[in-house]
Amino acid sequence: MSENPVSESRVYRLKQMQDLPLDGQALKRLVEAGLTWLRTNQQLVNALNVFPVPDGDTGTNMVLTMQSAYTEISDMGHRKIGEMAAAVSQGALMGARGNSGVILSQLWRGFARTLHEQEVLDGPSLVRAFANARDTAYKGVVRPVEGTILTVAKDIATAAEAALKETQDPIEILAKVVPAADESVQHTPELLPVLKQAGVVDAGGKGLYFILEGMLRYIYGEPLDLPIATLQPITVMNLENAMNTIEPGQDFEIVADFYPFQPLNLHDFYSTLEEMGTSIQIGEGEGIYRLHIHVPTEKRYQPIDYVMGLGTITKVALENLLAQMNDIDHKSKGDRLELANIEPGQIAVVAVSPGPGLSRIFASLGSAAIVEGGHTMNPSTKDILEAFENLPTDKVVILPNNKNIILAAQQAKEVTVKNVRIVPSQTIPQGLTAMLVLNPNGDIETVADKMEKSLGNVKTGEITVANRSVEIDGVTVEKDQVIALLDGKLVLSAASVEEACLGLLEKANAADHELITLYYGEDISHTRVNHIADMIRTTYPAQEIEVQDGGQPHYQLIVSIE
Amino acid sequence: MGEETTTLGCIYISPNAVATIAYHATLQSYGVVGLAPKNLAEGLAHTITKEPARGVSVRYDGENIDIDIFIIVEYGTRITSVATSVANTVRFNVEKALGLRINSIDVHVAGLRISDLD
Repeated sequence: MSENPVSESRVYRLKQMQDLPLDGQALKRLVEAGLTWLRTNQQLVNALNVFPVPDGDTGTNMVLTMQSAYTEISDMGHRKIGEMAAAVSQGALMGARGNSGVILSQLWRGFARTLHEQEVLDGPSLVRAFANARDTAYKGVVRPVEGTILTVAKDIATAAEAALKETQDPIEILAKVVPAADESVQHTPELLPVLKQAGVVDAGGKGLYFILEGMLRYIYGEPLDLPIATLQPITVMNLENAMNTIEPGQDFEIVADFYPFQPLNLHDFYSTLEEMGTSIQIGEGEGIYRLHIHVPTEKRYQPIDYVMGLGTITKVALENLLAQMNDIDHKSKGDRLELANIEPGQIAVVAVSPGPGLSRIFASLGSAAIVEGGHTMNPSTKDILEAFENLPTDKVVILPNNKNIILAAQQAKEVTVKNVRIVPSQTIPQGLTAMLVLNPNGDIETVADKMEKSLGNVKTGEITVANRSVEIDGVTVEKDQVIALLDGKLVLSAASVEEACLGLLEKANAADHELITLYYGEDISHTRVNHIADMIRTTYPAQEIEVQDGGQPHYQLIVSIE
Repeated sequence: MGEETTTLGCIYISPNAVATIAYHATLQSYGVVGLAPKNLAEGLAHTITKEPARGVSVRYDGENIDIDIFIIVEYGTRITSVATSVANTVRFNVEKALGLRINSIDVHVAGLRISDLD
């Protein structure tokens, strides 16, 4: 059971909040706070998913539902809490995603109906609202499963009723409800065997807890953008991001595994660690805890000494972050893919790319995920699905960049519940052109249509070596000759890459275009390509010629003419 | 329907078995407050024979398994989300229990139940 000691400073702030009426505008800020805190802890909730039903992740679903509720009210000036609550409920209904989202919307519905004609919220009506929320939610299912968000909602209502006996103040009631909700969440594995087996608590319940906790944190003036220390299963601890977020004062990274002598008081443990360093993560395994923390040089042994006093240490890793950072700077910057960060509601683009250089280009243009094409340029449906399933948005655009992949992309679209549009790019240059018209905050249908229309703006040339002799479309090819394709069609064969390139540009009427970009693959050297580029410049002085490292296999050059 | 040949013989799974699993999976989905018979005739037939899987219809054409589910949804929920959830849950449960691939699941919202009046 987690403790929630009300320190003196918190009581002081409570008294200040009591002066403000809990009206419609206050509800708006509380909803925003609940949404923000839930979003901050979204990945934590997602990590609790047990069932492999492709329902989408609980955390993401609940965030999207709350986001929709907040979007509905964000511009409203209603003073009456009843009106504001009704709007919240409407927004939640519209945006409900997945099981947990639907249940959450039902909770809001019941909550809002109780506050129907009211102007401000008081203790008794808050308690009635929680009770009605519970009742409405339970009515929506024939066989309610206990050990889920429904149970937590039930326990919240019970706690609120009990709190009413001691205080009439709605904020104090909320302050008692939040720890009770946490207790209920921690208890869910006892009610639902699959949770116990997986070693997790119920995700939906946890999400509901975060929403209420966020509201309370807002009232107390606590930050909503830093995730709180909670135990995660050791297997989901994400320690690789250490490199990305190094701030001054973070010189060393310490990871320590230990068996505590006594059950760990997480709150005190975390508070003590907070005085030493930052980026604290605590994972729990079979009786073992894993601590991760970043500390300044002068404190580098403190966490280890502290933990030594708490239990038996089995393993300690101490890494010098500064040295590693310098190391990385010396290596080529291009080793890390900087994919676009996606907010819920934005459009995430998944691009299929055959080479690391091209992946980098797609990422820099705003792709949220890259599927490696590999040597045979054939990612499976699963590969594509995995690329976007865990992104925090349900709007996805897929750029297959190859006509053989369009089918796999369509299969991925069938299997997922997310809103997917496939922009049928058949070549890399087409995919890149589509990226240029991407507006991640736009309406997915409009944006996808725009992207599709833009595909015709570019001509694609591909230059490679023939692996057999053939005759196609009037062109005779001998094995090992260099061949050029224009928009997928074989147009010429030549003795050298240079010749093929110039011939290709002629066939494509490059003189009528403005920009020619050469993406060179892994089978040709940079120097040689630069030489070819110079040759092209002499023939086409009016055009702009660019060279990029694509890194693709098979095709020496992919040429984009626009 | 649903044949599997093992070294010791064959396993046959009847449409009824599939329907029953789908039925129970549907009842556990949030937002579903009941299942509805396709039409009056089926409704009468089910009342008389006490079929275990009212509201679920399973078709097998020798190759593909297609399931139709007729649900009654609680008023005030997001119907598309509920229906999607039902489709996913049924697919998952049937495929997990029986190891058979389903070709299609059609969820028909046969009606809404308004359980509280304001």
